[in-house]
Amino acid sequence: MFLQKVYVLDMRAQQLLRPLACRSLATSHPRAEIKAAAEEEFRTLEIGRKKRERFTAKTFKPATMLPPRYKQQKTDQDWGSVWPAARTFHPATVPFPVRQGYPASGQPTPDKWANAELMKIPNFLHLTPPVIKRQCEALKKFCTPWPAGLETTAKQEKHFPVTVSKSSYLHSSPTIRDPKARIVTLKVHLRSLDLDYHGRDKLLRLVGERYDADTDCLTLVADRCPLSQQNYDYCQYLLTVLYNESMKTEPWEHEKELVDLEKYVWEGSPSQAAAQNVVTARGINDAEELLKEYGQVVTDLHNEGEDEATVLRYQESVMKLLGLTDPQDTATASEPKYIQGEVC
Amino acid sequence: MSAILQRFISRSQLSLWHNTVQWMLPGAELRGLHTTAIANKAQAGRYRVTRDRSRPLTYEMANQPFKIAHRKSWNSWNTTSLLEGMREPETVVEDIFIRRFMTGTWHNLFLSEVIIKRQHNMVRIAGIVHQKINAQKMYFLTGYCEELLSYWLKCPVKLELQTVTDKQDVIYKYI
Repeated sequence: MFLQKVYVLDMRAQQLLRPLACRSLATSHPRAEIKAAAEEEFRTLEIGRKKRERFTAKTFKPATMLPPRYKQQKTDQDWGSVWPAARTFHPATVPFPVRQGYPASGQPTPDKWANAELMKIPNFLHLTPPVIKRQCEALKKFCTPWPAGLETTAKQEKHFPVTVSKSSYLHSSPTIRDPKARIVTLKVHLRSLDLDYHGRDKLLRLVGERYDADTDCLTLVADRCPLSQQNYDYCQYLLTVLYNESMKTEPWEHEKELVDLEKYVWEGSPSQAAAQNVVTARGINDAEELLKEYGQVVTDLHNEGEDEATVLRYQESVMKLLGLTDPQDTATASEPKYIQGEVC
Repeated sequence: MSAILQRFISRSQLSLWHNTVQWMLPGAELRGLHTTAIANKAQAGRYRVTRDRSRPLTYEMANQPFKIAHRKSWNSWNTTSLLEGMREPETVVEDIFIRRFMTGTWHNLFLSEVIIKRQHNMVRIAGIVHQKINAQKMYFLTGYCEELLSYWLKCPVKLELQTVTDKQDVIYKYI
């Protein structure tokens, strides 16, 4: 009762005011702690917060360090069983010493222990020659021999003229889909197709850039459908349609004009008319061979282009046609006959 | 006004043009050309040298980023950077997540960078770990990481860790 009435801020005073019997059981104030020191004369007063003991996790130290695994491996062990699949490099399993890295000054090249660089790079320890041999042996039972009668490329082309190719793609990802896998390419040589002159010409006009003249190969690429099976069917359909259409002759094809001709035709051209004029003017009776030769030479000049050989032949033919002789050939040359006329 | 003028004119970064403009155009001193100190130094992946050579560096830390493909190799191996390689952004984000997850789960235990290799469908995670915890705990953590990561990434995940008793083993040099 006495205590309740008195409000004493000072701790010491409060302690003194309490009855003697309570003093020993008095609870300590968090701020100031009075420690009972048996040996010392004075009780120590510690001001400040209690020091919290820092908890440090105990580091686990293995009692006995086991030796690395390769020490228990025999030298003639089956390595394919130790390293069956692609695996990151592990120094305790790999028996040989290997070093990787740029050495620090005064240090040797870093060894295989605790070497992150060796772990980063891909290794082929799972593909040693004996393992590869074993895998090939295992795959052999799935292989069949090459079909008899298809030894040479010519035979292959004869029996299987059409080549269809498509690619599948692998990525390091959870998905196996790649939009490029739908593309299907069909290749066929035009000599394998049974086409006449008109059919071939019509096919080439229909096909355009898909034909390669150097290799005589028609290439059809289909990627318009989402699935490769659909694109393959489309390729087959395309080839069928192309062939059938090129075999047909439509009524409007007879409207083909001079400008539409795919190559130069001498018969009925102004060149033929002019040559005929020359021949009649010169009065040669049987000039069939001359005209034929001239026609051939002019056709070559147009179709094959102008190069030294064709131009030379043209020169010779023209000279024969006009009855000219080379002034260097004959010392006593007959009068050159210059005939005014168009020679085209 | 004169104080502002003085401040603008006395700065060495100002160009000659700017200095000329000050007296040509009225109010030019108030339209400041804000320049900073030289900020084009490369400082990525570089560690400051200490006076007493006390900072330990691993091989990875000692070789700076421009040494990649020269003395250092990549930490992430996948097909995304090849021609028409697909799924690059998703792979990058997944790698970031895997690295955070691994360093967090193996708390204070990783001594090297987390190495991520992707092969077909599989994700193989490698690295060097300190043997601070006992083997059973390590096995548990391995299984835990593999299981949870495979559910998150929708791929089989394999952990291929190398453990090291002493931290000094990974230290390459001191600077």
